[in-house]
Amino acid sequence: MDKCRILVIDDEDIVRMSCQRILIPEGYDVIATKSASEGFRMLDEDCFDVVLTDLKMPDIDGIEVLRKVKEEWPEVEVIMITGYQTITTAVQAIKLGAFDYIEKPFTPDSILSAVKKAVEQRKENKKGESRNPSSS
Amino acid sequence: MPQKRQAPSVCREGGKAAGRKVLTERVRQLNLEIIPGKMKIKPRKTLYSLTGRLLLAIGALMIIVSTIFWYILIRYQEEELLENFVKYGMSFVDNVRKSTRYGMLTFQELLIQQTVEAVGSTEGVIQIRIFNCTGKVAHSSRKKDVGTVLGSNSVVCSTCHNAGRSRAVVPKWSIGKSMEGFRVLNIVQPIYNESSCYTSSCHVHPKNKKILGLVEANLSLALLDKAITQQSIGITLYIFVFLSVISIVLCSILWKLVSTPVSLLAEGMRRVSAGDLDHKVEVNTRDEMGELAQSFNTMTADLSRAKAELIEWGHTLEKKVEEKTKAIKNAQEQLIHSEKLASLGRMSAGVAHEINNPLTGVVTFGHLLLKKFPEGSEERQDIEVIIEQADRCSNIIKGLLGFSRATSAEKGEESINSLLKHSLDIMSHKADFFDIKIITHLDDSLPPVKAGGMQLQQVFINMILNAADAMEGKGTLMISTRKIDENGHAFAEVEFTDSGCGISEEDMTKIFEPFFTTKPVGKGTGLGLAVSYGIIKDHGGNIIVKSEEGKGTSFFIRLPLPDQEHG
Repeated sequence: MDKCRILVIDDEDIVRMSCQRILIPEGYDVIATKSASEGFRMLDEDCFDVVLTDLKMPDIDGIEVLRKVKEEWPEVEVIMITGYQTITTAVQAIKLGAFDYIEKPFTPDSILSAVKKAVEQRKENKKGESRNPSSS
Repeated sequence: MPQKRQAPSVCREGGKAAGRKVLTERVRQLNLEIIPGKMKIKPRKTLYSLTGRLLLAIGALMIIVSTIFWYILIRYQEEELLENFVKYGMSFVDNVRKSTRYGMLTFQELLIQQTVEAVGSTEGVIQIRIFNCTGKVAHSSRKKDVGTVLGSNSVVCSTCHNAGRSRAVVPKWSIGKSMEGFRVLNIVQPIYNESSCYTSSCHVHPKNKKILGLVEANLSLALLDKAITQQSIGITLYIFVFLSVISIVLCSILWKLVSTPVSLLAEGMRRVSAGDLDHKVEVNTRDEMGELAQSFNTMTADLSRAKAELIEWGHTLEKKVEEKTKAIKNAQEQLIHSEKLASLGRMSAGVAHEINNPLTGVVTFGHLLLKKFPEGSEERQDIEVIIEQADRCSNIIKGLLGFSRATSAEKGEESINSLLKHSLDIMSHKADFFDIKIITHLDDSLPPVKAGGMQLQQVFINMILNAADAMEGKGTLMISTRKIDENGHAFAEVEFTDSGCGISEEDMTKIFEPFFTTKPVGKGTGLGLAVSYGIIKDHGGNIIVKSEEGKGTSFFIRLPLPDQEHG
């Protein structure tokens, strides 16, 4: 079975490092980048299953990242990481197609369970696509 | 007596020496007179008063009229009596003349003399004399006068003789005075020459002679004068009695109709001008006085009302100024508090964002490290402490973030009752609430409020948590909702009453300050009430606290309800 590929976009080194340290031992292929534009380039070049993105970043807003990902790579699941957990932004994110959101500071368990669920969802979608490739 | 009036109530209640003294002074100013003991007031009566002058004028008029009337009556009476007496005198003299006629015709001088003497002895007759044409006294009731001759200038003769040639030969009378001092009526009657005289056999008198002599009688008027005097006294007495009766009747009518109402009115005016606007003039007649009193009372009542309105207006103004001052102070306090919260929010949002990231590292690597040590090892315990403290930091940051959220949410129609129920559902499953009895009295008719639902829920949860902490996990929490009216505005009120430890007076002023907490270190951040207060104030509401140390605390959250006309 292929390793699931996960892209982490966060301007904070410690957050990127934390995600890698939690997810890599669990068998995920984790690529991390500190800017959203870099992230888009990577998404263009490579194939990813799940994107973890911060909500507030200096160059591009997390909501913008979500919007763009859902536009260009709709099969990729997006999990928001937020330091400002508010109902409105959370609802907005879910409405725009985010799979879930995680509150900072997160625990390894919360990240793992969210990512696991997202990966399962992605696999389900893939199965559906392979059975019925015309409908995307 | 009607002019005596009850003194004002302050005196009737009596007893207070000071009040009595003040009243005495006032009464002196008002030119009123106090009858000691009874404390009654009576207007002074003088000749200068209206009644006095009216009485003087009417009295003088009546005396003048009565005097004229009296004079005319007495004069008429006197003249009438005298006229009657003269008539009687005339007929008396006529009788003398007639009774001596036979003697004269038959020339029996002795008979005439005797007749004259007899008639002259009648009471009231002083003297009767018969003169012949030469002026000689032919007969007299006084014998010694017979034969005396009187000149033509004597009183008896001159009456006719001095009147010229065309003298009237008619009976005459005059009034003189006797030696004794009483009045005397003197009557002179001519003895005419008649046919029997000049046809008699003696032929003493020729035919062409008109008057043969005179009969003169002097009658005493003493009796008449006495009667006149008596009648005058009678008339005077009658008039005096009449005057007295009229005066008494007039006085009492004047007193009742004019003086009493006027003095009452005057007193009323004095009192009103002295500031006693409650005074009423009690004149209940239907005449002009009554109308005047009525108008006066109406005027006083209007004055009183106007004064009361002015005072009331003054009070209202004072109250309004006070209210406005209070409102401004409240608004200022609220502004300061909001500003404080807003700046704290901005700062805490920045701090939280910065702290969250390193904290994420601490938590993550703590957990990763934890897995590397076996259960129960010393290292594992140490790492658990690190994670625990990091969690605590995380909680503080969540609280701080509350400030930045306090004013941000969108507001919609929210049911307070269902928000409360939802909050209770979440909280009651927590272990802290196992021994707490929760009683709810929710008013089902409570209309929805315009609010941020999550924010209100945050406030309610905070209130419930605080109550649980105050009761230390044991006691009764009563939650009720109701609709109230305050200053004409409708509010929804939520009451949280716990049976906990209460809040000391010293702490009461500080409970809404950020970071103020009475909870043990690590348990409370001191942000819950501050954030709740910020949220409720942002909704235009208010939080009121009532607490008794050792008995419990009640929090009342008031949120404005939309106007019923529009809502």
